[in-house]
Amino acid sequence: MSAVKELTRDLENKANDFRKLEKDIQKNQQVKKKYTIQLGENELVLKELDLLNEDTNVYKLIGPVLVKQDLAEANANVRKRIEYISAELKRLDGTLQDLQEKLNSKQESIAKLQQRIQTLQAGKAKA
Amino acid sequence: MAATPRMELEKMSVEHLRGLKEQVDMEVNLLQDSLNNIRSANARLEIASVALHDLSVRPRGKKMLVPLTASLYVPGKLDDAEKVLVDVGTGYFIEKTMVEGKDYCERKIALLKSNYDQLLEVAAKKRSIADEAGAILQAKLKHLGPSQ
Repeated sequence: MSAVKELTRDLENKANDFRKLEKDIQKNQQVKKKYTIQLGENELVLKELDLLNEDTNVYKLIGPVLVKQDLAEANANVRKRIEYISAELKRLDGTLQDLQEKLNSKQESIAKLQQRIQTLQAGKAKA
Repeated sequence: MAATPRMELEKMSVEHLRGLKEQVDMEVNLLQDSLNNIRSANARLEIASVALHDLSVRPRGKKMLVPLTASLYVPGKLDDAEKVLVDVGTGYFIEKTMVEGKDYCERKIALLKSNYDQLLEVAAKKRSIADEAGAILQAKLKHLGPSQ
């Protein structure tokens, strides 16, 4: 009797872990989406900056202030931002894969547990 | 093209089909939202383009009303309409000539149009998959119904 109880408790724990993993995956995907949008925007800006002559004026909006920027500096800033976002996206991809693998193996162990519980209960019913 | 996917759909269970149809329906809705966003962005760009064009034909020194807030305007005089500040994203503004400004608007409008067309194609394909799945689901349910 207690064996089934223990296994059921274990099943509950595993189910909670599973749900948490699903939530983590969802959060990961949301962050990835945000970064992907930012990356796209920054790449557009870089394209525009590349089209300019060296003497074109570039300004950056910092809070309520429009500040004149050096074209080379603007280029460098946008490039650095693109690099950073790309690195973050790669890292998130790795984490996502990791989480997916954990999710799958959790699902397998849940299925196995459920089977064991079923066999135990069936065995008890016969006895 | 419709033959192979249809056979795969036929093989699926009712549960599986229902889940798939829900997922594809969600995707279609998302795509529809994106399409709407592109359309409104395009509308804004068109307005900007028209405004630019209008500015370019105004003489220097022309009296005008300058918006300070959505309901507050102050009288002013048009300065140099040859230079315009273009918002290119992520907080960057580029000083361009009137001609370059118009060109920028046109480039963006063209880019949005091509994105729109691409999305439209994808949305159409997804919608046809959703419709097929729905039809097969109905057929299966009818099939199962009487036998139960």
